[in-house]
Amino acid sequence: MVGSEKLMRYVSPVNPAVFPHLTLVLLGIGIFFTAWFFVYEVTSTKKTRDFKKEVSVALVASVFSGFGVLFLLLSVGIYV
Amino acid sequence: MYKTVLLLLCGALITATENVNKQLVLKNVDRSIDLTTQLVKVSATITIENTGKEATRTFLLVNEPNTPEERVSYIGAKESNKYELKVSKAKLDDYPDKSAYSVRLNQPLESGRTVTVTLEQILTRSLHPYPTSITQKEKQLVRYFGNHYFYTPYAVIKQKTDVMLSSRTIESYTKLKPVSQSDSTISYGPYNNIEPLTDDQMIVHFENNSPFLTVTRLERSIEISHWGNIAVEENIEIRHTGALLKGPFSRYDYQRDTATTHHSVKAYRTILPAAAHSIYYRDSNGNISTSAVKPFKDWIQLELRPRFPLFGGWKTSYTLGYSVPSYQYLFKKPSGEYVLVMRLLDHVFDDMHVEELITSVILPVGVSNIKVVPPYEVERLEDEVTYKYLDNLGRKVIRLRKTNLVEQHIQDLEISYNWQQAMLLHEPILIALALFLMFILAIIYVRLDFSLSKPEHSKKE
Repeated sequence: MVGSEKLMRYVSPVNPAVFPHLTLVLLGIGIFFTAWFFVYEVTSTKKTRDFKKEVSVALVASVFSGFGVLFLLLSVGIYV
Repeated sequence: MYKTVLLLLCGALITATENVNKQLVLKNVDRSIDLTTQLVKVSATITIENTGKEATRTFLLVNEPNTPEERVSYIGAKESNKYELKVSKAKLDDYPDKSAYSVRLNQPLESGRTVTVTLEQILTRSLHPYPTSITQKEKQLVRYFGNHYFYTPYAVIKQKTDVMLSSRTIESYTKLKPVSQSDSTISYGPYNNIEPLTDDQMIVHFENNSPFLTVTRLERSIEISHWGNIAVEENIEIRHTGALLKGPFSRYDYQRDTATTHHSVKAYRTILPAAAHSIYYRDSNGNISTSAVKPFKDWIQLELRPRFPLFGGWKTSYTLGYSVPSYQYLFKKPSGEYVLVMRLLDHVFDDMHVEELITSVILPVGVSNIKVVPPYEVERLEDEVTYKYLDNLGRKVIRLRKTNLVEQHIQDLEISYNWQQAMLLHEPILIALALFLMFILAIIYVRLDFSLSKPEHSKKE
């Protein structure tokens, strides 16, 4: 059968049992930052607006939401 | 140059011509032909004696004249019921028109010695319904055309044959003495001192109501996800290949008929791996609700009931899918290579016959150095590229095809490939980038001014 080399069973780097919890935490943080971003966008005026702050909040929001959405897909059974 | 030589060598090995070694004699042949299902299962225990001076390592098997090569689905040989022997196709110098196989023994057979070999042969499409069309209430009768003698290029000293039938109702059978019938078994022989390649047609006409179901096409796709899942989906086309249904079909009579032996097929059982989950059974209309899952310790039994009972000539098609965790079939070598060990063909129903199988393995994004090791000879179709969820690069699909398969072909396929673990981050980064793009658009939008008149407060400043 398979060569004489020692074989290890491949398991996912993340335990599938924690997918729903990861979804909740990551997507929670992601949505919080997304909300902060949009609230900031509509409340700030031309003068008070800080480009650096906008981009950094957007970056954090997109990274957390990105991973959150991925684990949401995985936990509902869409294995990408 | 080296490659062409190697190719030529391989070619020579495949179509090796062989001479029949007349020094080999079959001392005893004990053959049993199992006709209880839609398949013809021939098993024979043969004792080979080497009466010559030189040792030999191979012996030959020849297909019966009324058994074309495409009906032989599987041939296996075992020495003293334990060690598998290698069976390969061969061409005979003496009889170029016959299709033959050569069997290689584990040890050379010295002169004067004997060896016992068990042969197993599965034939498909060899039971012919006769009459070819019947009404709903009639029983299905089939005919088998075989040979009273074991068809072999060697002289046979003593042989006998048992024919096992599915019922006691036998219309007729050829009577080559000595022959006896008890219950549902016909015993032919013993016959002594039969010349090589003696052909004497045996015809058995009997009742066989076992399901005559043929999978005309099976497309099996295996999708690997390194997030820990392997998704399997089978698209199956089934046809009832028994006697055709003559006249009308009455649902009322069908419902009233409670006899267990009926030539139509109401339901059948599929065996899935024990770890299978998220099972679905549907066709082009949607979910088929008449299925039942029964978990056992080592497997999952799935009872599938098609939308309508299947009569001769009727066909149906459906999709069956499930997921299994990756650790059962996906392995990692210390060198970083991944190996998928999974069945090329899986169970559809007992005593199945698959006319055409196409297995496609969808590899993850970014694989390289793919090696495919099939369990038996298969045709490798051209690789394809497919796009799944969150996939902008495309995934490589390995496609394999084989025709005429039976249960004995349920064996493991091995595919090894190189893959970087960092490619797991491909999908989340893709989503994150898309979201970030949306935020950037929002940042740009708030900086645009669409108002027709200048706001008043800007004047004051």
